[in-house]
Amino acid sequence: MDNITILDGAMGTMLQAAGLRPGETPEVWNVTRPGDVIAVQRRYAEAGSGVLYTNTFGANRIKLAKCGHAPAELIEAGVRCARAAAAGTNARVALDVGPIGQLLEPLGTLSFDEAYDIFREMVVAGEAAGADLVVIETMSDLYEVRAAVLAAKEHTRLPVWVTMTFEATGRTFLGVTVPAMALTLDGLGVDAMGFNCSLGPAELMPLVRELADWTDRPLILKPNAGLPDPATGAYTITPDEFADALSEAAALGVTVLGGCCGTTPDFIRALAARAAGLTPAARTGSRKRGVCSSGRVAVFGGVNVIGERINPTGKKRFQQALREHDIAYIVDRAVEQEDAGADILDINVGLPGVDEPRLMAEVVRAVQAVTDLPLQLDSSDPAALEAGLRAVNGRAIVNSVNGRAEVLDAILPLCAKYGAAVVGLCLDERGIPQTAEERVAIAERILAAALSHGIRREDVLIDCLTLTVSAQQEQAAQTLRAVRTVREDMGLHAVLGVSNISFGLPARENVTVGFLTQALYAGLDFPIVNPNQRAIMDAIAACRVLSGEDDGAARYIDRFAGTDAAAPSSNTANTANTGAAADMTLEAAIVRGLKAETAALTAKALDGMPELAVVESLLIPALDAVGGKYERGELFLPQLINAANAASEGFRLVRERIAAKGGGSVSRGKIVLATVHGDVHDIGKNIVRVVLENYGYTVVDLGRDVPADTVVAAAIREGARLVGLSALMTTTVPAMAETIAALRQSGHDCKIMVGGAVLTPEYAAEIGADYYAKDAKQGADIAREVLG
Amino acid sequence: MQARLTGLNHNEALAYLGYRGGALPPDAAADIARCEALLIKTVRPRAVWRRFALTPDGGFEGVSFRPEGGDVPRLLFGCEAVICFAATLGMEFEALMRRTQARSMAEAVVLDACGSAAIENVCDNLCGDLAAAEAPLCLTDRFSPGYGDFPLTQQHDFCAMLDAQRRVGITLSDSGLMTPQKSVTALLGVRRTPPEKRARGCAYCGRFADCTYRKDGITCG
Repeated sequence: MDNITILDGAMGTMLQAAGLRPGETPEVWNVTRPGDVIAVQRRYAEAGSGVLYTNTFGANRIKLAKCGHAPAELIEAGVRCARAAAAGTNARVALDVGPIGQLLEPLGTLSFDEAYDIFREMVVAGEAAGADLVVIETMSDLYEVRAAVLAAKEHTRLPVWVTMTFEATGRTFLGVTVPAMALTLDGLGVDAMGFNCSLGPAELMPLVRELADWTDRPLILKPNAGLPDPATGAYTITPDEFADALSEAAALGVTVLGGCCGTTPDFIRALAARAAGLTPAARTGSRKRGVCSSGRVAVFGGVNVIGERINPTGKKRFQQALREHDIAYIVDRAVEQEDAGADILDINVGLPGVDEPRLMAEVVRAVQAVTDLPLQLDSSDPAALEAGLRAVNGRAIVNSVNGRAEVLDAILPLCAKYGAAVVGLCLDERGIPQTAEERVAIAERILAAALSHGIRREDVLIDCLTLTVSAQQEQAAQTLRAVRTVREDMGLHAVLGVSNISFGLPARENVTVGFLTQALYAGLDFPIVNPNQRAIMDAIAACRVLSGEDDGAARYIDRFAGTDAAAPSSNTANTANTGAAADMTLEAAIVRGLKAETAALTAKALDGMPELAVVESLLIPALDAVGGKYERGELFLPQLINAANAASEGFRLVRERIAAKGGGSVSRGKIVLATVHGDVHDIGKNIVRVVLENYGYTVVDLGRDVPADTVVAAAIREGARLVGLSALMTTTVPAMAETIAALRQSGHDCKIMVGGAVLTPEYAAEIGADYYAKDAKQGADIAREVLG
Repeated sequence: MQARLTGLNHNEALAYLGYRGGALPPDAAADIARCEALLIKTVRPRAVWRRFALTPDGGFEGVSFRPEGGDVPRLLFGCEAVICFAATLGMEFEALMRRTQARSMAEAVVLDACGSAAIENVCDNLCGDLAAAEAPLCLTDRFSPGYGDFPLTQQHDFCAMLDAQRRVGITLSDSGLMTPQKSVTALLGVRRTPPEKRARGCAYCGRFADCTYRKDGITCG
């Protein structure tokens, strides 16, 4: 086993003691007061540090923007200082890389690519200046860490260490869990990982134990000097107590030890003295594997349900969404599958004529903004897979490779680079073999290729392929035999797309569920299914009880709590609902926000009236009634939204009816909406969008933090005659004024409405807006005035 | 002493939803109760605070921060110390909000209102705990950057003084927006006698000019 490596202690604390003023940029001292920087680092070297961190924690272009120095300049000087301090010792110099200081999307506005470029600039400068390794530290966002690690791996040859900052709950401020960090960074091939800052050694010890379960990489621990006194901010434990506590970490197999806030050279000296007599315990090897998002792990071992619904194959509506770039529709498919109990989401956006790599990355980002399920990227295009793998925040599965050499050669290196698990299909250039033995032989070839690319055995998932039983009846048994061999003899995971089994048969669900149950018994642990089909998820819940995975049947009982198998069937319930709707007016249904009733009553009305008459004489007046109640305070915003949602069911039926007759659009007109540049608070704008859409308008939602020129370009491209702008803060209202000016200057003929908490009608007029909308209801009134 | 969310002032949540008196819409009370339970289960409130003695010239002992404007010096007149804090519902609220918006905008609106009431509850609890710890000394009302003439532009320095990003995860944008959104920064004076005058109400409020409640003749405190 390696000996223990001793890191340094606090840098900021020491520079402040040397005279650094609050608000002053510490990295600037690398050029203005290098002697003071070297003196601090020299004290750590003399205390026994074997690795000196450069004074470059915040030397990124965002944090340095106002100090008049470029990152490369301060990093070059910072490495020179550390090198001078290390002179005459064996200490290595680590380029210190801290958080950028701005939040990445979706919480903030910084894009992943921009973050990557900021880190690239730092690590390239660090390597050129002669740093021995890169240390990425004090991170709480796994996405930001991924950007930094990829930048370091792709642009330098330096070893990369990562430490993240956790709370005692076992999560970072951004919700990253210890297993998610371990799986993701292990997959990216970092050279060591662990924790720094936020807590003292005692509080971090349980997290160290957990981390050791999930990775075999060397572990780092660089805690604070205990917890700070809340009133004064002073740290409390002594150097000896600190050294005692860290020797416990060595007993857990941690080999890299140091100190963070509040740890002075005395702490490092005590630690180095203690470590000299310690041999870190041998690690027993990590036991747990899985795939993950930043906050949730699908642990390998039990059954993990992969949701199949994000896939255009055979789905006209989904294909339309891809062509029209309707990301919201795709995200809805993710949300409904998560709510239905999927553990992993398959993402397939392949369709002739679309830019699959760009769309893959975009959908991955949109989906992981609203669900925390791990993802499986489904494509045969290596470029689309790589775009998706870069965008994933966590560790994904790649679906798929097969026995063809050129496919293995193209895709396995991507899996290895990004640390993804991989699905191998049991087919090759000769097609799908007819016997279990031949399929297993292909699985063996895929496994050998994966291992040769450095992919771990437990990350290989074999798909023995489901064939349609109505066409090739004898094949179902072959598939099940192959699954059993793959699981029991080869010890690999088995994945199967299940639904295909019943194609062409009546009452398909019986066959699908029957096959699924048998496959689970044969060892299938990654069923790819439609989780919205209740019978399928019920069968999986039952199988989890029978296999013992669902301990004490707790999840099963929870799933069926409050339901009663003997309760009236859903048919009876429907009849009851229809009965209630019979004596309800369409207006009453809309006012009460009842979607199903609104749809039923609209359908009835359409039987006796022309489509546009239904809109003009029923739907719009109902919305007006709702608006009146809202303005009188009889309804609040949630009820207004629910009513508008219900009305949209009516509009949908009208649209369908007109489309079926080959008629044109019934959109009442197009509106471009945006939250202005610099503003990320977009709930107000989102409410307006929902209400306008449900009032029958087509809304082009540009999102938040939208630059003026993007708004202008969209307004012109879409031919929008109404543009809505939102701003929440006094500090972002100037961006609204600029956007209005840009729209006017473009000569595009449109009206502009503005809204947001700090705006007033007077101010709206002052910055040149045509309308001030105090709420979503007024937004709809304005839309009617402008667009009709 | 830890940041705690113990419940919501339902009237406050209703006010954020636009309630101006009169009969409640059906479901409004049930919606709020449901969101309250969800918030208590989901969010993890955090707070960081520091106590500084006041120097004779009105500065905070040991740090360079000095509040601009006249309102804070007036609040702290006769005080011997000041407590500065930052409290937040955390990113758990942000994640919940994003997930909810993807499912139901109506639900998200209620959640947003309840989140605003929730961070007030966290601040009330914290200030209550601080008051108990300071007894027999007394605390003034809390006063935030953006109130009165205490400028929002000092938010950056205020948060830096508390090390709020590292300690409780509050990030500021260039324009001074806090993320998580449901976050509050404020200061309170510590004094020997109860304050004679409260530093609350419309006269001190940064939103005096554009407050939608005040236009309807309603005040929030």
